Amino acid sequence: MNNARANILSKLHASIGDVDYEKLPQESSYAYASRSRQQQLAHFISQLESNHTQVIKTAASDIPTHISQQLKQRDISRLLYGKETHFSSLIEQVKDNDQQGNNSVQSSIDLVAYDFTIDGNKERLFNEMPASVTTSHSAIAATGTIVLWPTPQEPRTLSLVPPVHFVIVDAKQLFARFEQLINTQQWHNKLPTNIVLVSGPSKTADIQQTLAYGAHGPKELIVLLINSDEI
Amino acid sequence: MTLTNSQHQRHYPAPPNQIYLYGTCLADTLFPDSGIDAIEFLERQGIEVIYPQGQTCCGQPAYNSGYTKQARTVAKQQIKQFPLDIPIVVISGSCGGMMRHHYQELLDGEPEISQFCDRIFEFTEFLVNVLKIKLNDNGEPERVALHTSCAARREMGVHLTGRELLGQLEHVELVTHPYESECCGFGGTFSVKHGDISIAMVNDKSQHLAETGVVRYVSADWGCMMNINGALEYQGKSLRGEHIASYLLNRTQTKEQ
Amino acid sequence: MNNTTPASQTQPLEDESKYAASARNFRQNVARDLANDELRSNFRGAMDYLIDKRQSAFSDQDELETLRRQCQLIKQRCLVKLPLLLEQLEQQLTSNGIKVHWAETITQANEIIASIIESKQGKTVVKGKSMVSEETALNDHLEQRDIECLESDMGEYIVQLAHEHPSHIIMPAIHQNKRQVADLFAKNIEGFEHTTDVDALIQQGRKVLREKFCHADVGVSGVNFAVAQTGTLCLVENEGNGRMCTTVPDLHIAITGIEKVVESLNDVPPLLSLLTRSATGQAISTYFNMISHPRQTGEKDGPKEVHLVLLDNGRSQMYSDPELRQTLQCIRCGACMNHCPVYTRIGGHAYGTVYPGPIGKMVSPHMLGLEATTNLPTASSLCGACGEVCPVKIPIPKILLRLREESVKPVGDIPLIMKGQGSGRKPIEASVWKAWAAVHQSPTLYALSMWAVTRARAILPQKLGPWTQARTAPKVAAQTLHERVKLRNSQKQESGNE
Repeated sequence: MNNARANILSKLHASIGDVDYEKLPQESSYAYASRSRQQQLAHFISQLESNHTQVIKTAASDIPTHISQQLKQRDISRLLYGKETHFSSLIEQVKDNDQQGNNSVQSSIDLVAYDFTIDGNKERLFNEMPASVTTSHSAIAATGTIVLWPTPQEPRTLSLVPPVHFVIVDAKQLFARFEQLINTQQWHNKLPTNIVLVSGPSKTADIQQTLAYGAHGPKELIVLLINSDEI
Repeated sequence: MTLTNSQHQRHYPAPPNQIYLYGTCLADTLFPDSGIDAIEFLERQGIEVIYPQGQTCCGQPAYNSGYTKQARTVAKQQIKQFPLDIPIVVISGSCGGMMRHHYQELLDGEPEISQFCDRIFEFTEFLVNVLKIKLNDNGEPERVALHTSCAARREMGVHLTGRELLGQLEHVELVTHPYESECCGFGGTFSVKHGDISIAMVNDKSQHLAETGVVRYVSADWGCMMNINGALEYQGKSLRGEHIASYLLNRTQTKEQ
Repeated sequence: MNNTTPASQTQPLEDESKYAASARNFRQNVARDLANDELRSNFRGAMDYLIDKRQSAFSDQDELETLRRQCQLIKQRCLVKLPLLLEQLEQQLTSNGIKVHWAETITQANEIIASIIESKQGKTVVKGKSMVSEETALNDHLEQRDIECLESDMGEYIVQLAHEHPSHIIMPAIHQNKRQVADLFAKNIEGFEHTTDVDALIQQGRKVLREKFCHADVGVSGVNFAVAQTGTLCLVENEGNGRMCTTVPDLHIAITGIEKVVESLNDVPPLLSLLTRSATGQAISTYFNMISHPRQTGEKDGPKEVHLVLLDNGRSQMYSDPELRQTLQCIRCGACMNHCPVYTRIGGHAYGTVYPGPIGKMVSPHMLGLEATTNLPTASSLCGACGEVCPVKIPIPKILLRLREESVKPVGDIPLIMKGQGSGRKPIEASVWKAWAAVHQSPTLYALSMWAVTRARAILPQKLGPWTQARTAPKVAAQTLHERVKLRNSQKQESGNE
């Protein structure tokens, strides 16, 4: 091993010398105008929509219907989801719902639970899973952002690899700004393996500043927004 | 458009009876008319103008080339030429920026350096914010463009005061050219050290100004104008820049004169 | 904390790298690229687009100025505490299960990364966008060790296919237009049907790259913010390739400069907000990825090992001087280059360095030495557009001036701050400025020389080097302003006496 660590740190310490941290200048943040919950929600939706995201306001009980319809529109017959979540029993109705509502359609939705580890299953995950659904942890109004907090039940790649991503967002978990969310929930106390803030489908403008969706991750992000009437 | 930043916010004194004029080395050797016009214009506002013969150059060329010591020597010499506690009006935004902002650090520790810097006003800034001038336009209707030097714009806020003054001229229509806030490519020794980049910039700037179809553009900086006018002349175009002091003097002169 | 370690001798920086060689060719590069009309129109179009995007993201000047001041102070605080925060970061990451490595030079960094990969028998690497890995020329190094390293950011992928380097730190392939990308794909990707439809081009890239994500052994990424308080690596991106690289392979290696550490989670939101808005005008990027652990027990995916390499490569030299230290406030948004009239004209490759534009002019002299980069700080008209938009208020023109000063300092002048200090000093130029100062500090000498110049105006040369290649020569006045004023005053006095 090299002594890079000691060299770097000693150079930095020597350059900065003794500092009285109490005397650092006061930092002040901008006082954003406060918005009502309704305004926040409207802003959240419009930000998402302007970022190419479909937002469907729905009652929780109608989630299965919406998912089935959206899948059918896209000719998708398989959905990857996480078991044992707050919404898993609802999601599991997607299959039934599809069969009930569309008697004439022979094929039904093949619901696949993400109950395997990625090791040895990458090909399957990348090539055989056209859509997924996840829950979300919270949301941020100012930027139209959905906060994903992956768990063993809903792994990180569940929201990343399938080309169509449905996400259930609870309007009651909407926060005005990112800083407010971090502070209210005291994130610094314990962070999980991974948190992802998602604000639209995967995109790029790397070729001649022309926006294109579905660069690597989901091409489509569909938000199922519940409890939007209750705030 | 870029708005003011905190650098432009300053306290302005009441209109004085007497001021110093800082002519700048460029106007001294190449464009003395604009210096005389500035004096004439200020005297018409009832102000006595003192032009110290000992002034030379603000030191910017050496300063921008990394020769700080040499710049400091010359800067110190300038300060000595302006002993009275009256405003020093500079007919160039870039020299003004040098004396108002960069002298603070260059001459840090010199006695009363910040008082000296506080006495520095760019010509249009002085007219608008100190004299609170109201102009009477006696000229023919015309369209003009305005070019503000980058230092003038970013250090002295001249894009605002220049625009304000032209806005007061009743028969003058100010035309905004494409990429108005973009640098003309002068940059002092930059135009010599990196001639090809500078040429690419001034060719664009002169083209953007020419595109407006004006016959004249106005500026408060001879550095830029020497650059742009030189390019326009080289290209065989008739458009030329005129120093704002001369322009204002001409526009406000009564016909009899 | 160990305060007994004696301050080490200043380590020699990296040996002449390929970037030092290309930076030396700045003038030739500039001539080449200024003559390329297609390139110039690609850059002008791209910069106009980015300037507009940024402007539309900052409609409230008050908010912008408050945020800039706040973020400037955040970064300054984090820099003042830098050694402490690095130690805290290391400790937090370690306790989170992430391994931390330190590298003073690019060689050390590459060696560390290659060794980790080899210890896992890794053969294929997918890389998320990381300018620091460009700095170390990691791809070249890994190729030499028989490790395939594929760029996965769309722009980086294009650049790699073309055997080029990024021409912009945020949009690496900005120098190419869609027709050029289509030609490149046609030449390199089997079965690609030529099209200039951007969606189709991106879908082609997606197809190739997803295959790679699926099979790569290792993911390499950069870091935008490393949070000391929680031991968290934050990555900003739109495409999702960063998430792929940091989630799908078994091994994730992140590499970053030591200045990327921030003190607490609270520092992140304002910096993030300014970063994405300054860079691309987005309120936030599509993804903001916060990584605090490798895969934990019971989790079904994510890398089993995560490593962080902290790189110095000239940063501690920037740190050693309070003025130059401000360079380290940079959050790599690219706004300075987007607004730079020089960058817009010459494009990103002419600089010859990893980081182009104003930020490149400030950091490259520390990474490559002032001697190889002597033309960079002077290649600026000091127009100040960069400093005006810098989200963390780095006084860029002032730092360029400072580097000019260091470059022409008499050799042997102390303190020695930088490698290559004084290397730009040319005896003739130095004497010219000495003479200039002598004339301009003496009103008598000045008057005398002005008198001489004005009298000699008829015989002064009409060709003035580069100046007259595109401009007429300025004409010296018959009488100086000094003389005209004198005359005017005496005439006035006479008329007053009459």
